[in-house]
Amino acid sequence: MTDDSTALDTASESGERADGKEPMEATKTVAPAAGPADPTLLAIILTTFTTVFLAELGDKTQLAALLLAAESGRPLLVFTGAALALICSSLAGVLLGRWLATVLPPQRLERISGALMVSLGLWLGAQAGIGLINP
Amino acid sequence: MQLPLLASTFVTVFLAELGDKTQLTIVTISGTTTKPAAVFLGSSAALVLASLLGAFAGGSLSSLIPADALQLAASAGFLLIGIRLLVRAGREDS
Repeated sequence: MTDDSTALDTASESGERADGKEPMEATKTVAPAAGPADPTLLAIILTTFTTVFLAELGDKTQLAALLLAAESGRPLLVFTGAALALICSSLAGVLLGRWLATVLPPQRLERISGALMVSLGLWLGAQAGIGLINP
Repeated sequence: MQLPLLASTFVTVFLAELGDKTQLTIVTISGTTTKPAAVFLGSSAALVLASLLGAFAGGSLSSLIPADALQLAASAGFLLIGIRLLVRAGREDS
């Protein structure tokens, strides 16, 4: 225990010195330490893409709305309108998430989000399962 | 220009999307990550591709792949994300 505390002391001392002399280096040493705990950029993109893509493609109301609009015979225009709307809504979602992250403590947000995702997954899975059994 | 059609598609899809499970997913992923730009990129690409398929393939796609099978796969994704978040919150607790 004493070894640990002295190690911490020297670490904090050197950290203070680095802060005082070179603030740029101090921020550099902080960034890699936070990095490995997070999933990689590609992993986040892929997870988001796959989940959102599957959920959206299987959305019956969305398909119905697009199908109805596509009957106008101008699929390119319908696609443009739908794509713009979806980009806007996803931007709104990201911004809302960032705002929540500043308001709620991270652990609480993780717990709420996790519970929401699990219940959404169970509800969606149950509905899809019923639909597959009784078409 | 067919501005009315463009505008009506935009409004319909945007309103249908608000508070939808897709947007809820985006909110939760973006709120619990440090890289919101990656979330925006991934979700936008997915939504644009989905609407591309919806607008051009239309009904033929849903007859090819049943919507329920896609929903089942999506629900597995929701469960995976949810469990991972709960595990992370639990790990920070101890």
